[in-house]
Amino acid sequence: MANAQQNYFELFGLEPNFFIDKKDLSSKLKRLLQSAHPDRHTQGGSQQQMLAMQKTTRLNDAFAVLKDPVKRAQYLLQLVKNIDTTQDHTVNDAEFLMQQLELREELDTITKQKNASELMSFADKIEAMAEQQEAELGRLFEHEPWDLDALKISIYKLQFLHKTLRDIELAEDTLLD
Amino acid sequence: MALLQISEPGQSTRAHHHRLAAGIDLGTTNSLIATVRSGEAATLPDPEGRHTLPSVVHYKSDGEVVVGHEAKSRQAVEPGNVISSIKRLLGRGLADMDKIKEFSANTLVESDSGMPGVVLNNGIQKNPVEVSSDILRALASRAEEALGGELGGVVITVPAYFDEAQRQATKDSAQLAGLKVLRLLNEPTAAAVAYGLDSGSEGIHAIYDLGGGTFDISILRLEKGVFEVLATGGDSALGGDDFDRAIGQYLVEQAKVDSDDRRAHQLAMIKAREVKEALTDTDSVEVNFFDWQGEMSRAQIEEIIAPIVDKTLLSCRRTLKDAGVKVDEVDKVVMVGGSTRVPLVREKVEQYFKVPPLTDIDPDKVVAIGAAIQANVLIGNKSDDDMLLLDVIPLSLGVETMGGLCEKIIPRNTPIPIAKAQEFTTFKDGQTAMAIHVVQGERELVEDCRSLARFELRGIPPMVAGAARIRVTYQLDADGLLQVMAEETTSGVKTDITVKPSYGLNDEQITDMLKSSFSHAEGDMEARMLREQKVEAARVIEAVSAALNENGKELLNDEEYAAIQSALEQLNETAQGDSAKAIEDALEYVEKSTNEFANRRMDASIAKALVGHEVDEIDEI
Repeated sequence: MANAQQNYFELFGLEPNFFIDKKDLSSKLKRLLQSAHPDRHTQGGSQQQMLAMQKTTRLNDAFAVLKDPVKRAQYLLQLVKNIDTTQDHTVNDAEFLMQQLELREELDTITKQKNASELMSFADKIEAMAEQQEAELGRLFEHEPWDLDALKISIYKLQFLHKTLRDIELAEDTLLD
Repeated sequence: MALLQISEPGQSTRAHHHRLAAGIDLGTTNSLIATVRSGEAATLPDPEGRHTLPSVVHYKSDGEVVVGHEAKSRQAVEPGNVISSIKRLLGRGLADMDKIKEFSANTLVESDSGMPGVVLNNGIQKNPVEVSSDILRALASRAEEALGGELGGVVITVPAYFDEAQRQATKDSAQLAGLKVLRLLNEPTAAAVAYGLDSGSEGIHAIYDLGGGTFDISILRLEKGVFEVLATGGDSALGGDDFDRAIGQYLVEQAKVDSDDRRAHQLAMIKAREVKEALTDTDSVEVNFFDWQGEMSRAQIEEIIAPIVDKTLLSCRRTLKDAGVKVDEVDKVVMVGGSTRVPLVREKVEQYFKVPPLTDIDPDKVVAIGAAIQANVLIGNKSDDDMLLLDVIPLSLGVETMGGLCEKIIPRNTPIPIAKAQEFTTFKDGQTAMAIHVVQGERELVEDCRSLARFELRGIPPMVAGAARIRVTYQLDADGLLQVMAEETTSGVKTDITVKPSYGLNDEQITDMLKSSFSHAEGDMEARMLREQKVEAARVIEAVSAALNENGKELLNDEEYAAIQSALEQLNETAQGDSAKAIEDALEYVEKSTNEFANRRMDASIAKALVGHEVDEIDEI
């Protein structure tokens, strides 16, 4: 079933949906890999090993997309509405743009001060914001017909918060050095 | 080629004979080989009862190659003809050699493969792949003598932190030694297997592996026989040798020897090791070094080595973060590598993880034992086992972009196998070729990353600038080895790729080296090839027929079914003849004809894995 014709949701026996039980997804991945993984095919010929590698690759890919709320939302919009939200980043939400600037400045200041505890509490704040944003994204997906513009903005906001979290990690690394 | 041979879980297909497989720990200072016999994994000793084989090779002027203890004993007599610690050079370039001090007795030169060549006093020149393959050959023949048969395959362990070039060089060494590599396995994962299967334990495990020259930390989740590596990290240039170096430095300072005296420094290292080992069991020791005489206490050397141990804990912290695991979620800590015998290491690790580290399996043997268990599964001796290892790529993979920057395409700690596709276009009218430089590492600048290979794409159909769409796919297999494919998507033309590994051999060079070792027996070779092709043809005919019987009617339409049957008949006929080449062609044709069938069969079996278990779960409720 790591079938090239199946979409990522189908690979895991799921309906296309934003709501996903991560534990269930992870245990399904392991079951699928028990059958698909190249280590299960070492006694087959090269054709079989090649197929096993390709199918496992696809399963790993699908899992990476489905477990991440931003990638999952983008994939869902592409799949159902044929809308690509991975390239287009123009958002006309002045309030959010302002907030974005402020958050970046705050991170810059903390990084320059090399203040570890401030950095931690900043990380906590962003994490809480990301959680809220993910919940909002969920609400938007629940509400049919989908408000596509609102969805796009919401995905973008969540993406920004995730990127900020990654930058916080980088800042943490430099603090450690 | 073969079609899927699906066996139902818990039910073995046929009683096939036990096949010989071994796990090899190819270490910097010592190597080991282990195997599973009557369900028990153990390392194999030499006739003198010694389990470890020093990774030291003596090349005699008459061409004789001596590996192990005897070679090590020659080191004091003729250091210029003996090579040790070759693992540090494996997959490395001459430019990396500054840090490597072990080779002071040998001269290093650049060879055309970009690999350093080690030149011995007697004029013999060897590259790291050749030296490693001599060590592997010595281990394999030990196993074959002990087990009384040819090895069907081996699992070789590598430090988790090894980059792609180092992994490829390890695999090349095995190929040169005539060994079939079932899998390259990360050392910490191997240790986890040895411990995990022993105790049947579940939960989050941290594997702390401090060897002579490398440090690895891996965080794994164990669940129902699945070993899932969550993250791996470490330092490929940090190890117990650094303890010796730091203590040696102290001795040199105390004895006030000339800081340029290289021999004194070497002696200091040896003395330092003695002091370190003595202080594992006692609290203080009497030391004589040149004109200096004194007493060294454990507390004293602990103060000297503490910064090095702290550095390993910093790596642990980062790797835990990468794994998304908090320190107090770690259930067990496993100690691997001889350097974890140092009491301070155990203390600090316990303090950090807040659990007493596990040390019950000999830290020198645990890796080989884990590799043997995995080899036994992969060779098919334990087909109904649920054990599965899911590993990750240790270092991010990237490509060079404008201005010498590195664009990451696969981030570190991504589960493998994995593939990423990238689209390029031409920037000149009629451009038919382009080059891609693949690097590995976490830094932004290409020059700070490890160069893996340069790929040259040729045969792009000439178009106006920017019109071509070249889709390049980077595929990392389950061994962490890279393969690159490219296609021009508007025309569907597959472009040719020439790979030039930055520090290693290309396929041709390996084939040449293999051929030169066989060349004197060409007639034998042909007869052997014909025999092998006939065996393969018989195997394929049996496997495909069985597959057709099982679900051919279900998965194929009449036309597809007939096409496969006719390909089989053709193969059957050709296999009666005497042309190895004709049989090879017929085999290839069968492979082509059955590709889609094999694909559908695999899909069906994977689908079953999902559905089958769901039924089980309902039953349980």
